[in-house]
Amino acid sequence: MLQSSIRNAIRNLGATLVLTLICLVAGVLLAITYDLTKEKISEAEQAEVNQALSEIFPSAEFMEENGYYNALENGELIGYAVIVEGTGYSGKIKIAFGICLDDTIQRVRVITHSETPGLGSKVAEDEFLMQFEGKTLQELKLRKEGGEIDAVTGATISSEAVVDIVREELQRIVEGLLGG
Amino acid sequence: MKLQEFTKGIVKKNAVFALALGLCPTLAITTSVENALGMSLAVAFVLISSNFIISALKHFIPQEVRIPCFIVIIASLVTVIDLLMHGYSPTLYKHLGIFLPLIVVNCIILGRAEVFASKRSVSDTFLDAAGISVGFALAIISVSAIRELLGSGAIVIFGHKVVPALTSSPATAMILPPGAFLTIGILLALLRRAKVM
Repeated sequence: MLQSSIRNAIRNLGATLVLTLICLVAGVLLAITYDLTKEKISEAEQAEVNQALSEIFPSAEFMEENGYYNALENGELIGYAVIVEGTGYSGKIKIAFGICLDDTIQRVRVITHSETPGLGSKVAEDEFLMQFEGKTLQELKLRKEGGEIDAVTGATISSEAVVDIVREELQRIVEGLLGG
Repeated sequence: MKLQEFTKGIVKKNAVFALALGLCPTLAITTSVENALGMSLAVAFVLISSNFIISALKHFIPQEVRIPCFIVIIASLVTVIDLLMHGYSPTLYKHLGIFLPLIVVNCIILGRAEVFASKRSVSDTFLDAAGISVGFALAIISVSAIRELLGSGAIVIFGHKVVPALTSSPATAMILPPGAFLTIGILLALLRRAKVM
């Protein structure tokens, strides 16, 4: 009786040790990979931001100032660009968009998102984002709320998230930086 | 090494239609053929490499704690692949990145680890994992082809129109969740009826 319970205890201890060992190896492996890729990932993310900015104002140079970018063409201000992050249906959505000098939207690009593949992910595609171009603050709402943007079928929440993120940021900038 | 370990996973033990494993990703991502291709690649990658490791460690892992061990190995591997892909291949990451976190909860991986990899040799495990991956790919690509064709009207893969638009007013319900259940149900019934499995 006593012997078998001692044997059991030893076996359980062995199993615990193996699991601990595997977790330890996995943890070290993850830490090493994270460290190795950290720089590369932030480079890749910066490249994505630059790519998005150059798609918004193709021939402009960008000067960062107070968290937004001045878009300069031949030294002359042609608009502003911002990178903004907000919450979507299933995670963060990172968006870059440009503002013309008349406070309308220049172009919108989704940099990263984790919306449902095939449904919500369509808010990152041109077909949806084209609608934003030239819109004013008042028009930046989904059509069912009296605005001018059609939601993606089956992805109302994701569509609304993108519209809200852009509208709130535009409002903040129009009132704060440009109007002030 | 027996070739049947590879071929059985394609039709006879098809992950989706015969084993009814991995139904969650099958329902969720089969809205377009492009998604199905991305998911197939990601699953094949993780399934083959994780089951390879599990098979190699099978004598080391005690029976009582095998499931937590498998999950730690699978989840770590997925995270490592996710980080490496994000850092070194941003374009591939853009297409596959959103599928990777879904794979941790894909029961095909754990299912094969438990049923096959933890009991068989490394070479058999490799063949089994490759066969199951091909079977899973065929299943989700056929489901997604039907759904995209009926639900979006055309099949577009990475910007190329493979099948041109058939109709200007497609049945949108087919790319919404009900379409997934309908397509999988009807395909399953037809395959059972034809006694393929």
